[in-house]
Amino acid sequence: MNWFVRGLLAGIRTEAEPGGKDTPPSISPGLPRTTLHASPEAAIDIAAVCPTGAIVAHDALASVVQDLCVHCMRCKPSDPGAAGGQEWRHDVRFAHGPEGGEAEPLDRRFTRSLHVRIVDAGDCGSCLNELAQLNGPSYNLHRFGIFITPTPRQADVLLVVGPVTRQMRGPLKAAYDAMPDPKRVVAVGACAAGGGIFGPSLMCAGGAADAVPVDLVVPGCPPPPFAIVHALRAVCGARPLDPSGNLG
Amino acid sequence: MNQWELTLTLAAMGLCLVGALVCLALSERAAARVLAVTGCSAAALSLVAAAGVLAGGASGDRILWSLPVLGPLAVGTTPLGALFACVASLVYVPTSLYTTRYMEHYEREYSVRAFSCWYCVLLAAGIGLFICRDVMSFFILWETVAIASAALVAYEWRHLRNARAAFVMLAMSEAGTVAAMLALLLARSGSESLRFGLPAPALTTPLAWSIFLLSFFGFGVKAGLLPVNSWLPRAYPIAPGNVSALLSGAIVNLGVYGIVLVNMELVPVRFASEGVVVLIVGASSALIGILYATIEDDLKAMLAYSSIENLGIALTALGVAFVFVAEHQPLFAAIGFAAGIYHMANHSAYKALLFLGAATIDVKLGSRSMNRLGGAIRVLPVTAALFLVGALSIAAIPPFNGFASEWLTFQALLRSVELAPLGLREVFALCGAALALTAALAVTCFVKAFGMTFLGTMRTVQPTVSEASATMKLGMALLALECVLLGILPTYVLAAIDHGGAAIFGLGTVNQALVPPFFEPNARPNPLPSDFVATFHALGAQIGAGLPGRGLVVMLRGGAANPVVFAMSTTYFTLILAVLLGLVYGIVRFVTRGRRVLRVPPWTGGLQPLLAEMTYTATGFSNPVRVIFDAIFNPTEVENERETIHEHFRSAIRRKREDVFLADRAVSAPLASAVRSAASLLARMHHGRLAAYVAYTLGTLLVALAIVTLT
Amino acid sequence: MTTLTDVLQGLRSNWLAVAWSLEQDSIAASIPAECLSDVVTYLHAHEWRLGTVVATDRGTSLEVRYAFYAGRYPGWAQLVVAADPVARVLPSITPVLIAADWFEREIEDLFSIRFTQHPRLGDFVLHDNQWAENNGLMRPNVRSSADMEEQRRAWRPRRVLKEEGAFVMPIGPIYSADAESALFLLETVGEDVVRAIPRLFYKYRAIEKLAEGRSVRDVLLLAERCSGTSAIGNGLAYCHAVERALLIDVPPRAAALRAFFAELERIRHHVTSVREICASTSLAVAASQALWLEEQLLRICGAVAEHRYFFGVLDIGGLMHDYDPAALEVAADGAGALSGRIRILRDALQNSSSFLDRIEQIGIVDEHAARTFELVGPFARASGVSADMRSIQPYGAYASVAFAVPTEAEGDGYARLRILFAEIAQSLQIVRTLLRELPAGPVRTEPTMRAGFGLGWTEAPRGASIQWVQVGEEGTILRYRLTPPSFRNWHGFHVATEGFAFQDFPIVLATLDLSVAENDR
Repeated sequence: MNWFVRGLLAGIRTEAEPGGKDTPPSISPGLPRTTLHASPEAAIDIAAVCPTGAIVAHDALASVVQDLCVHCMRCKPSDPGAAGGQEWRHDVRFAHGPEGGEAEPLDRRFTRSLHVRIVDAGDCGSCLNELAQLNGPSYNLHRFGIFITPTPRQADVLLVVGPVTRQMRGPLKAAYDAMPDPKRVVAVGACAAGGGIFGPSLMCAGGAADAVPVDLVVPGCPPPPFAIVHALRAVCGARPLDPSGNLG
Repeated sequence: MNQWELTLTLAAMGLCLVGALVCLALSERAAARVLAVTGCSAAALSLVAAAGVLAGGASGDRILWSLPVLGPLAVGTTPLGALFACVASLVYVPTSLYTTRYMEHYEREYSVRAFSCWYCVLLAAGIGLFICRDVMSFFILWETVAIASAALVAYEWRHLRNARAAFVMLAMSEAGTVAAMLALLLARSGSESLRFGLPAPALTTPLAWSIFLLSFFGFGVKAGLLPVNSWLPRAYPIAPGNVSALLSGAIVNLGVYGIVLVNMELVPVRFASEGVVVLIVGASSALIGILYATIEDDLKAMLAYSSIENLGIALTALGVAFVFVAEHQPLFAAIGFAAGIYHMANHSAYKALLFLGAATIDVKLGSRSMNRLGGAIRVLPVTAALFLVGALSIAAIPPFNGFASEWLTFQALLRSVELAPLGLREVFALCGAALALTAALAVTCFVKAFGMTFLGTMRTVQPTVSEASATMKLGMALLALECVLLGILPTYVLAAIDHGGAAIFGLGTVNQALVPPFFEPNARPNPLPSDFVATFHALGAQIGAGLPGRGLVVMLRGGAANPVVFAMSTTYFTLILAVLLGLVYGIVRFVTRGRRVLRVPPWTGGLQPLLAEMTYTATGFSNPVRVIFDAIFNPTEVENERETIHEHFRSAIRRKREDVFLADRAVSAPLASAVRSAASLLARMHHGRLAAYVAYTLGTLLVALAIVTLT
Repeated sequence: MTTLTDVLQGLRSNWLAVAWSLEQDSIAASIPAECLSDVVTYLHAHEWRLGTVVATDRGTSLEVRYAFYAGRYPGWAQLVVAADPVARVLPSITPVLIAADWFEREIEDLFSIRFTQHPRLGDFVLHDNQWAENNGLMRPNVRSSADMEEQRRAWRPRRVLKEEGAFVMPIGPIYSADAESALFLLETVGEDVVRAIPRLFYKYRAIEKLAEGRSVRDVLLLAERCSGTSAIGNGLAYCHAVERALLIDVPPRAAALRAFFAELERIRHHVTSVREICASTSLAVAASQALWLEEQLLRICGAVAEHRYFFGVLDIGGLMHDYDPAALEVAADGAGALSGRIRILRDALQNSSSFLDRIEQIGIVDEHAARTFELVGPFARASGVSADMRSIQPYGAYASVAFAVPTEAEGDGYARLRILFAEIAQSLQIVRTLLRELPAGPVRTEPTMRAGFGLGWTEAPRGASIQWVQVGEEGTILRYRLTPPSFRNWHGFHVATEGFAFQDFPIVLATLDLSVAENDR
């Protein structure tokens, strides 16, 4: 059978963006959120479980620096009802601006035509794989007028994954310099957000912000495709950022 | 009858000969100056004389000198000769100007005086050849040209390669001369004298064919036609740059002159098949020439192969003319003739320009290999701009001159619809296809030549190099100006060609075919239908009517079989292009006013730094052509070795391929080996026994006596 | 047929002065540097393959450990060679074993040990245009980035092609739309590429250095994220190594579940590879269908393990937590349901002549080359080398699961594609078998910390992942050595790319199924 016919027969597989707060783990692993524990000791215990120091205990309250979460799942109770674990948010609106605030989106001209250059600055492969899913039938990034381009010369957004290794720092900066104004930088994944488990260290910077000015951060290890879609839609001004679960 | 033109031409020759003697007496540097002054003024005189002839018509022949054995030497101006003299002079003037400072880098090693002397002799013969009106004087000057040009090619005689190339050139040239002389003698065999200006004798078919083949391939040696052009890609690249420009700009044209002289004026072609031979040789020369040019990485060798291509195109157009002459359609024959001569003239201008540009690069940057050049525009901006004009012209990009003549050539080929025999039409179609491919490859070739030499990263170019001297730039600029003018004023050029071809087709045939009187609304009788005139008037085609030419549109009408009008005007095109470009520039400036322009280094994929060895080489650029046409190039693999350390570490892959020029492979090499084996057979006679030698002598005597007795 | 004991006998009789010991299935010995090459030659002749090379620098002592494993029966050999910590010179074994080439280059760069007779040292992990010589990143005196000496220096690619007009076409390090960062240097005279050499380690994160001083559990995160697309493959090999070092027995249920997740990961990874091959040939419909299949598999993984890439599934001593049998069944059923579609995709691809034209006869690696360079995983199996750690050095649940290792002989792009499809089908079967015979019991043994070292291995989706750890008294990692499959297979890249048409480059690259992240570590 002809591939064209095959493609037609497969039908439309594109899915709507999940808006709710109960996205299943098959689509998004979610992120830990600030939790009020039974006792200060419980909060200190849970903070000690976290290998990256993303959980900070203040009395019984264990707040979460989401940029640092690497999805080790150790603070997540194996059973949703069980006590002792950190509460989790189950949505995809991970993205937030610098310092947890709003980001300045690009102007209206970009809402239906946004070109993105991805730069792998030391990624483990999972963020890149999730980015590859964006062009698949399920997410279909093109429907939003967002395109992944091979040259930074035509790119409006620099999408950085990985903690920025010392040997990728130069190429990353060159790519940023090669982009025309106006431009935005989106750091995708825990590594690009804050170095993840790799940085800052001997050969890694503490995320993309150490090399280029970052406008938007998408935490997660890796962030699910819909979280990246959400961030790209926000950066081109097509929708508000609405970091609903950031603290909540 | 006015004879001042003849006197002027003779004076120019005399000036050159005096210059040659003066050069020998002076210092090295002064010799080059004298050469430049002599060359420029002699060529200018010749140009004025030729223009006078074209405007005023031919003089009668005059016996200059009567020699006891060779008979009277006749000279006289003819429009055809004047046309060629005009083209040649347009090359001589700028090249001589260029030579003023160009020879300086030879001063230490070679004698500039000797060079200047030979140069003046070449010029004298090159100017004088066009006023020769009998076989003897023609061949005296023809030989002078051959010897002088061989001497100039061998100028850097300390390199064995140069000496050998000059030898091959001279040898092939002599062989061609013998054939051409034979053809001329046969052409005059029925007449009482060897003078040109006599009516053509009646000839038998074999004799006519002999004259055609001998003259075509004999003169074809000089014109660089396949398969008798082995010398050309050897000689051009190694000659001094200005000599290459002279050879390619003016001396090759002598071959065309010879072919036209014999086959259109002295013994007009009678058979369409003669034209077919010209067509096929011309088209295949064009295609093979440009193929070799495209894969060539040596700038001058590339230009040499490209000369073969361009002369091939010109000859294809002349082939069209021959066919139509034989088919008794003088109007279309005139189109072919005009296209051929026009292309030849264009080639003279841009090829001389390109050779001078290549010479400038060679002198300033020390290399002719496009694989080592690159980024030269940063140190030689003026040379680059002038070279670009030449490259655009040769690639037939309108409004530059190559376009006008190639357009005419294609139009001439398309006139095949006016021919009855199907076979002829097929040949025309195939030649048209070959030329179309040639034109496309020419663009590739010169994109490569300009891009690899002047653009990109500086591979070995030193940033401290300074631009060429004023006279060198002026010489090239004159040629560039010629390229532009020949391109944007085709109707004036055609008018000149019309005069030049008057003796063959009658005055006005070319103009009638291509620049119809329609553009002179008052011309009576006007052969065009009145509604036709009205339509074209409405289009504004008469705008050039008031000018001294015949309008600015080249137009040809199909015959009865094909009532279509083909027209083009590079003049209008240029005007419109200028307006549009200006408009676009203005709009862009207006739209982007106040906008900041960001200049950043090229995006290299993040690779820092991008080294020159990581950019395309000339070989790499043209490699697709090499791969596709591998069957034609049929290269021999000289080396293909893989070296490894410890079995697995590749330390070197050595590869080398050698391309042998098709003419060498197919003709020269077999011929040489045949001659060598014949010689070795003959050598067996030389065994040193006296008795045998005496027997040879006696035998020869007997045979000679027998022949004498029997006849 | 030789056995482990035969080899040990041979070693003992040939090198009488060396104290050879055998523990379980592992030969160990400290050998003098001068007989290293001969021992390696001996092992190589008996079809032993190089597993990993571990250099350890303690400041006052310097040793290099060569781990070999038998190619046809369970058995390991660890040869320890001591080097002078001041002179830092060892004989190279590369001349007798080309597979050791990259190991020695890496150690030279990171430990400043010079290997005599190695023809190609320099510019490897630490790029010459950025770093001064002898930075010795893994040496104990280098503690922070301030100890690394940066130095801008001229670097030129090593050029081998000597032909008029030859040049090097660089691709990368940032190229294509979403490719991993790596630089390729293609030597060519236009059109045909004579040779392609990768310049890797742009993404070098120094995982082995980062691991030092961290707890064994935290290093698991590094092992998982060495290559995010084979988190179980590499993470499990790390767990095995630590469990050996700490003398932990993993409960049978945990071993079976680990294998279950490993096979699910293999299926997903192979579908990703198929997708990349389809995309590289511009077969957009097939690429989209493979993408959709991949997304469904990711969702199955996410649904059962709460993480689409299986991060946070493994733990030292077993698994993080137990799984509901129903959820496991759902996952296996889901994967089984997709297998029909995968077969349809396979048949459609195998019936597309235009697709086959582009992947047949490209990137050929013959069996001899695959054996000499000791390639691993599907790459090697497509060249007729039946190398699969699950069957030749069985671990965990694989000792009790019967399966045949698919191989192909041609070693071209199409053979590699067929291997991928065959392994997908086979992994689905293994998943079914494992679930059917899933033992009951705990899923984790609580580790007790002790000093020791251990070697662990798995067959990760891209091939053998072999890791070595040295654990200190308090359960911190003293030395972590990670040998992922891509590190071995990139070494064979230049073999597959000697002579190809330029437009085939992305296809060759896709069929080789190499991960830059996994190699760069």
